[in-house]
Amino acid sequence: MAGADSRCVPRAARGWAMPLGLLSLTSLLALGLAVAVGSVGITPEALWAVLRGEGDALSRTLVLELRLPRALSAFAVGGLLAMAGALMQVLLRNPLADPYVLGLSGGAAVGALVAMLAGVGGALVTGSAFAGALASTLVVFGLAHGTGSWTPSRLLLTGVVVAAGWGAVITLLLSVSPVERLPGMLYWLMGDLAHAGAPGAPLALLLVASLVALPLGRSLNVLARGPLQAAALGVAVRPLEWAIYLMASALTAMAVTSAGSIGFVGLVVPHMLRLSLGNDQRLILPACALAGGTLLVLADTLARTVIAPEQLPVGVITALLGVPTFLYLLYRSR
Amino acid sequence: MASSGRISGALGPATAFCVLLGLALPLPGEARADSRCAIDDRGREVCLEQPAERIAALSPGATELLFAAGAGDRVVAVVAHSDYPPEAGEIPSVGNHARLDLEALLALDPDLVVGWITGNPVEQLERLERLGLPVFQLEPRDIAGVAGAIERLASLAGSERQGRRAALAFREGMAELAERHAEAEPVSVFYQVWDSPLMTVNDAHWIGEVVRLCGGVNAFGDLDRLAPRIAEEAVLAADPEVILAGGMGEANRDWLAHWSRYPELTAVAADNLFFVPPSLIQRPTPRLLEGAGLLCEALEVARGRR
Repeated sequence: MAGADSRCVPRAARGWAMPLGLLSLTSLLALGLAVAVGSVGITPEALWAVLRGEGDALSRTLVLELRLPRALSAFAVGGLLAMAGALMQVLLRNPLADPYVLGLSGGAAVGALVAMLAGVGGALVTGSAFAGALASTLVVFGLAHGTGSWTPSRLLLTGVVVAAGWGAVITLLLSVSPVERLPGMLYWLMGDLAHAGAPGAPLALLLVASLVALPLGRSLNVLARGPLQAAALGVAVRPLEWAIYLMASALTAMAVTSAGSIGFVGLVVPHMLRLSLGNDQRLILPACALAGGTLLVLADTLARTVIAPEQLPVGVITALLGVPTFLYLLYRSR
Repeated sequence: MASSGRISGALGPATAFCVLLGLALPLPGEARADSRCAIDDRGREVCLEQPAERIAALSPGATELLFAAGAGDRVVAVVAHSDYPPEAGEIPSVGNHARLDLEALLALDPDLVVGWITGNPVEQLERLERLGLPVFQLEPRDIAGVAGAIERLASLAGSERQGRRAALAFREGMAELAERHAEAEPVSVFYQVWDSPLMTVNDAHWIGEVVRLCGGVNAFGDLDRLAPRIAEEAVLAADPEVILAGGMGEANRDWLAHWSRYPELTAVAADNLFFVPPSLIQRPTPRLLEGAGLLCEALEVARGRR
């Protein structure tokens, strides 16, 4: 599969319909499952009635007010994280890169925890998390620019050190917070879709990102082979790298502010897709949006039903589902 | 004021007066004979058209307070760890207080939700309000708050008489303890909430209030934070006459045994290490009266050992 990306475009494009179609179908099935399943049983007839705009008040509330917005949020967040992860891996040319490696989730977490410590809730926590993510992005952007030459490894080091700084601040905040606020803070850090609001904004961003990724894909493919080669082929390397960085940051910031730092999706989904579809970014990026979304929708459905009424953190499920799948693909590859 | 099912636009001046005073009384003969309002602990007014029939209690403390208020038979949903009174264990749970299963909660069709300001996720309570459920947020912070909470819950549930009786019994019991120890010799006390990290309470906490009421002087009462984390050294430096601790269970004295390694401590030398079952003193519920009785007794024993 590794040679697939060097083939000419029309032939590759024909090969994309199949995986993307399959992934779209899987996404729809996952969303359907998420709407149909919950800790309260709804019969298929009742579900059908709700979808036709009828049905009893309770079923309507459960499906339309709780399950559907949450499933759509999960899809959007999963898609955003997977795309951001794929972009970071190309940008840093490091397979271990994930959306959080440059400290963005740490900044968002500090923002959210400060808001929680101040005793505010809801929209202010979200706003504060977004401000933290933005601040972290700008700090890393500014510092990695530095005075000398710019390299991905310099960006990576800057980001990792900033992330370590945020980690220390998070620990400090947790240790000075009143005991009764700790569970809420820990749940935020673990990531949870229970506090995801309306899914409109993350879904819109996911759509925009997928559309932007299509024309960028070709340059990304070249960049993935190294900056010298990319420059030789006429790609403006530095502007492209900054564009990827800002785009990945925007996607991650939206995901983290919607649902906290859900781990694993951004690291492993892009690798899974590369193992099975090859390394063509024009295919990988939209596939990430679909597969990441599907994984998180399924994981969240399990998280809220497995031991209901107790609710599990969704990150536990993404890892429990993803780790064996990834190891299997890795074992089988080559 | 978008907090509750129905906002009290149609209510008369008597209610407005109550609201101004922050009082939470049953409505004296208002427009709708059975409608009732109460101010919750965020200062918002929650109104019901009729006494609550199906109540969701989203903290173990709220469950206890509802039972005390005479509304126990109307509690249809509780959260994990709602272990008192024992009947509460048979009520369906809607998950952990910090991560509620909203589906299960809605399916139980409550007409009143008693939330926990610092315990429940703000977003989830807001979502319940948006879905049109009256959410009464509860967080008793002191002894008076416990009695007040019982009365307000009773007025929402239409069990005013039982509520008043329970609140009165609680207030009188506390007043009696206070009176009995008003002239008692001061005893310096360290109350250990948790062992790792080592935590205590300051004077603003209800446990600090109970210590004061029993004639004790909280060694860490002046600290700023409600439940400060402190160093072991600070306890050695303060050298309290009595050490009180809860523990990881209702009869686990391990935390006290830990202090025995410092025989130079006054409390250890005099063997003034007392266990108070945490559920009797760490939850702001009517059982606090029993816990306060035990705490006062312990201080009396310590005075007797001087």
